[in-house]
Parts: sequence; C-alpha cells; structure tokens
Amino acid sequence: MKKILERMPDALARLLVVFIGLAVAGAFVVIVLIPKPLKDVKIQWADAVKREQAKPVKYAGFHACAECHDKIYDKKKTGYHRDLSCETCHGPAKAHTEDPDKVKPVIPQERAFCPQCHAYNPSRPRGFPQINPVAHNPLKPCASCHNPHDPKPPTTPKECSACHGEIARTKAVSHHVQLECTVCHQAPQQHKISPRSVKPTKPQTREFCGKCHAKDAKDKLARNAPRIDLANHGEKYVCWQCHYPHSPEVE
Amino acid sequence: MTNEIFKSLSEILPQITGFIYPNEIEIHWGMLIVVYPYITGVVAGAFILASLVKVFNVKEVQPLYRLSLLTALSYLLVAPLPLLSHLGHPERSYEMFLTPQPSSAMAMFGFVYAWYLMAVLLLEIWFVYRTDLIAWAESESGPMKWIHKVLSLFSKDRSEGALAFDHKALKTITIVGIPSAFLLHGYVGFIFGSIKANPWWSSVLIPIVFLFSAIVSGVALVILLYMVITPLTGGKINMKCVDKAVDFLFYAVIVDFSLELVDFIHRVYQSEEEIKILSEMVMNKLFMSLVIIQVLLGMILPLGIISVTKIFKRRFSLNEDLRKMLYFISVLLIQFGIFATRWNVVIGGQMFSKSFRGLTTYKMEIGGIEGLLYALVLLVLPIVILTVLLKILPPWKEMKGEGNGKELTGEAPLGGMHAPEA
Repeated sequence: MKKILERMPDALARLLVVFIGLAVAGAFVVIVLIPKPLKDVKIQWADAVKREQAKPVKYAGFHACAECHDKIYDKKKTGYHRDLSCETCHGPAKAHTEDPDKVKPVIPQERAFCPQCHAYNPSRPRGFPQINPVAHNPLKPCASCHNPHDPKPPTTPKECSACHGEIARTKAVSHHVQLECTVCHQAPQQHKISPRSVKPTKPQTREFCGKCHAKDAKDKLARNAPRIDLANHGEKYVCWQCHYPHSPEVE
Repeated sequence: MTNEIFKSLSEILPQITGFIYPNEIEIHWGMLIVVYPYITGVVAGAFILASLVKVFNVKEVQPLYRLSLLTALSYLLVAPLPLLSHLGHPERSYEMFLTPQPSSAMAMFGFVYAWYLMAVLLLEIWFVYRTDLIAWAESESGPMKWIHKVLSLFSKDRSEGALAFDHKALKTITIVGIPSAFLLHGYVGFIFGSIKANPWWSSVLIPIVFLFSAIVSGVALVILLYMVITPLTGGKINMKCVDKAVDFLFYAVIVDFSLELVDFIHRVYQSEEEIKILSEMVMNKLFMSLVIIQVLLGMILPLGIISVTKIFKRRFSLNEDLRKMLYFISVLLIQFGIFATRWNVVIGGQMFSKSFRGLTTYKMEIGGIEGLLYALVLLVLPIVILTVLLKILPPWKEMKGEGNGKELTGEAPLGGMHAPEA
C-alpha cells in the first residue's frame, strides 16, 4: 500500500485524499446524520397508514344506502348516474346510517349544484350532456324536469327556448312575438341532438322578409307590418344584416 | 389570498387573445427559468473557450484561459440557485442524490451538475493553479498564505515529474471536459426539446441550438470580461488574442444562426397544426424579444459589425481603438441577444394555448422570489463571485503576459486588485 502511494504522483494522492474525504463525509451525513424516518419508505408508509386510520370515518358507501333505499338504488343502478356514488351528491352519510332519524343527508336543490358537472365547458368530452346555466330554463330547479336518480339522455327539447332562452325572451316582447321560430328557421331533427354540428337555417334572401314587408306583400299576418320597396331599399344586403329580427326596431 | 389572485387575474385577462384553457392563464416558468439556461450556457461556453487553448493548442487565446475557467466556475456556482429558488425547499435538494430517478431528466440534473463541478471544472482549475498556489503560499504571509496553502492541499512538489503529471492531467480533464460541457448544456436543451406536448420546444435540434448559443454566450462574455477587467487592473488589452477569440465567436454565431434558421425553415415548411398560433405569437407577443432583440440586434447586427472588421481588415488593423469599440459593442449585443433567446424559448413556450387557439401573456413581478429584482441579483452574483475568485486565484500573469510584451511573474504586484505583501 505504501509503495503504491509513493509511486503515485503527489498531486493525485492529495486529490484522492480529498475525494475519499468527501465520500466519507457524504456517507456519514447520509447514514448517520439523516434520521431514519426521512430515508426509509417503509417507516413512512407505516406512519401514513396510522395517520389515515386515526381519521374519523365519514362516508358509509353506497351498499349501506341500498339497505334501506333499495328502490332508489335499483333505479339508479340502470341509469346514467350509475357510476356516481349516492354520497357524491348527498354528502357523507355515515352519521345518517348510525342514527337515521336525527341526521339527514343533504338533498342538493340549488341550481348551482348540477352545473358543476353539466355546465358547458369545451374541455368536457363531446356528447356529455352540457347546458348553459344562464340560458337553460332560468330559475327552475334542475330536479323539476330531470330525475337525478335516473336522468334521461338529453331529450329533444319541445321548444327552441330550452336552449335559446335569451332569444326567446327578447322575441317575446318584440313585434315578432306572433312568429314561431320555424317561420324563419328550419331546424333539422339532428340539430336537437348535436346542436353544434348541425345548424338551423337562416333566411338567405331579401324576398323572404319581403313576404311580409314588401310593398305588395299579401301575407295575412303582415297586415300592419312596415312596408318597404325591395327594389331600392338596402341595396344588396340581406335584411338581417341591418335589422335584428328577434327584436326589430319600431319604425 | 383569493383577492390577490382575482387582482392579478383581472390584470392578465384583458391581455388574453382567443381561447385558452383555464390553467394556462398564468405562466409558471418565469424569469428564474429564463436565467437558468442563460447561466449554464455561459458556463459551457466559457469552458469550450478554455479548451481551445489546451486541446486545440490555439496559443493566441492563452490570456483568456484562466479567466474563462474562473468565469465558468463562478457561473456554475450560481447555476442551481434559480432552480432551487423556483422549486422552493432547497433543504430537500439532497434527496435527489439519495433517491436517484434515472427516468426523470429533471432529477438527473444533480448528477450532471455534480459531475461537471467536481470531476471537470474544480479539478482543472486546481491543476492549472497548483504550482502558482505553492509559490504564493511560500512568498505570502497572513490569511492569504493559509488560503493558498489549503487550496493547494498542502502540496509542495514542484519537480519536473510533478509538472509533467499536471500537464498530462490537464489534457485528460479537458478532453473529458468538452463532452461534459456539451452534456451540461445539451441537457438543458434536452429538458425543453423532450417535452413532446409543446411544439415550440419539442425538437431534436433544440439541444444542439442550445449548445451553440451557449458557446456564443460564453465566448462573448469572456471577451467582454477580458476587455473590461484588463484596463481596470492597469493592463493592456492583447488585440491578437481578442482578434482570435472574436474569430471563433464569429464562426460560432454563424453556426448558431444557421441552426436556428434551419429550425425555423423546418417548422414553416412542415406547417403542422400549431404553425398558425406560433406565427401569431412571434409576430405579436414575441416580436420585440425575438425579431428585434434576438435576431436583429443579437445576431445580424453583431455579425455585420464583425464581418465589416474582417472584410476591411487592412483598414481596421491600423486602428485598434475602433476595432476594440466595435468588438465591445458586438459582444455586448450578443449577450442581450442570447438572453432574449432564453426568454423566447422559456416564456414563448408557455404563451400559446395547447388548444392552439389563443395566447396568454407574461406578467413579470418586480419583487418577490420570482421577480425581476431577484433575477438581477442572480445575474450579478456570478460577477461578485468572479471578483472574489480573481482575488484568490489571480490570473493576471497569464492575462497580461503577452499584452505587456513581457512575462510577469505570479509574485509581482498585481495591478491594484491584488497586492500580496512581498
């Protein structure tokens, strides 16, 4: 050993001492100074398990609900909400299972609750039922139309106002109140299922509005409608490029 | 807390264009992450300049050798600080070494850094200075004597054999050091280039572009420091050395510029789905920092200036002061250009939405750990460390040796900054 050290260049020997010193110091820090729980994963796991076990149990699990509410349970089992646990909406119910009369789980009724999942958000998967909470039947509690234990896939809305509430309300106080939406728009059945890919038509010609508003219009509904001369009014523009048909201005 | 968030959001929201996802409003990799690749780039570049002397035997740049090593060290010491500050909990950083995670490129930084610091840079500096340290320790008194004695690891051997071993060791370390320097900064480029979800970063060219921009920034910074420090310490700038170093800088800038151009052409020709949002970002949000500062001021203008001094060589060779001024302006512009490059990569990569339909904006803070002031401190800190290193390990003998036309000895009074008692 001594011979090797003697034959080694002086500089190299000194560097070796430094590096070995550093390695020993590092090993000392790692092995001796750092307390074991900081390094040993098993001890950390055991501690974590103990910590978790000490927490009070709040949730009962849906099997507990099924024992008493079997009808609702069976109904939900086949519906679209089958993957949701009861306590997702009704909150932790362990206390309720222990004393059913005294502690009642919540029944969410405010309109803000369902939109947590069903408000329109472009990052949600396509086909997931989504609504605009402002325009979708304002003020009505969700449960008045949808049964949360067996929600139906978006049924065909009877009226356009189900989705286009703002336009419907605007039109309701305008001169066009008497006109059905379908007078001007043809909505294919598919529009109600995938509203963004299949769009309803819009009037594309001046003659369409002219059926009521041209000088020589004969439509019965248009008895009191303002008349214009199609030949020299508004040049080449389609009517709705200047007039908003859902709330046409008073002449 | 919530009010603060609302306040900062209300300032950013009007700046957003198009559609972005909610979690893209705030840019998380801010100013500190811009500073980090800039600093590591300087380290790698300065080391490559040093290796020109030792491996490629470019004798003209010998005066820059020790200065570039010390520059590399002082910047390397600061390199992990922006990361530690950005991540928080610096006291936990040692865990990176205790639980090595080879599948995480980020977790490997500790090893890349430690290798470069311990196995390359410190070793090389020690071997370079060993004989000088012994000489200083013998001739000095007071604390300096002891500092130098400890730094020399109490070695006293100045025999022929020892010097020959020093020389051999230096050559080996530098040869190992070049790929290590490439590894260090190539690694930083890899971190960005390997993020496949981000089309601004995801490119195999990024590590190479980073490497060459690193060489550019390191070489330019060492030239800049040499041109500033030498007159300050009463020396004369060795124009032969600066000319040669600027030569290398010139070629490095050309390679860097062409690589970035290749990357640009490649992106435009491929025209993948992100091209629209990227071109909108470049033309609006990054126009100033990318087109004006990085490309025009940081590359084309210095390239033009250096080219002019080369084309009209005869005319410029007569006027050293003019050449000095032009070089000085060029290397300064290159520094700003490379900093802007880092900015454009880091900030630009987070400015566009992953939906490719909108752009957010970066609101830099002034104070605070992620703020401008702290970033400035980190940028000045290496200079402070370098000043200390220059006092402890003065490179003047070499820096001024050829500039004054006579060989100064290490023990001679050292130009005002360091005057050991004789």
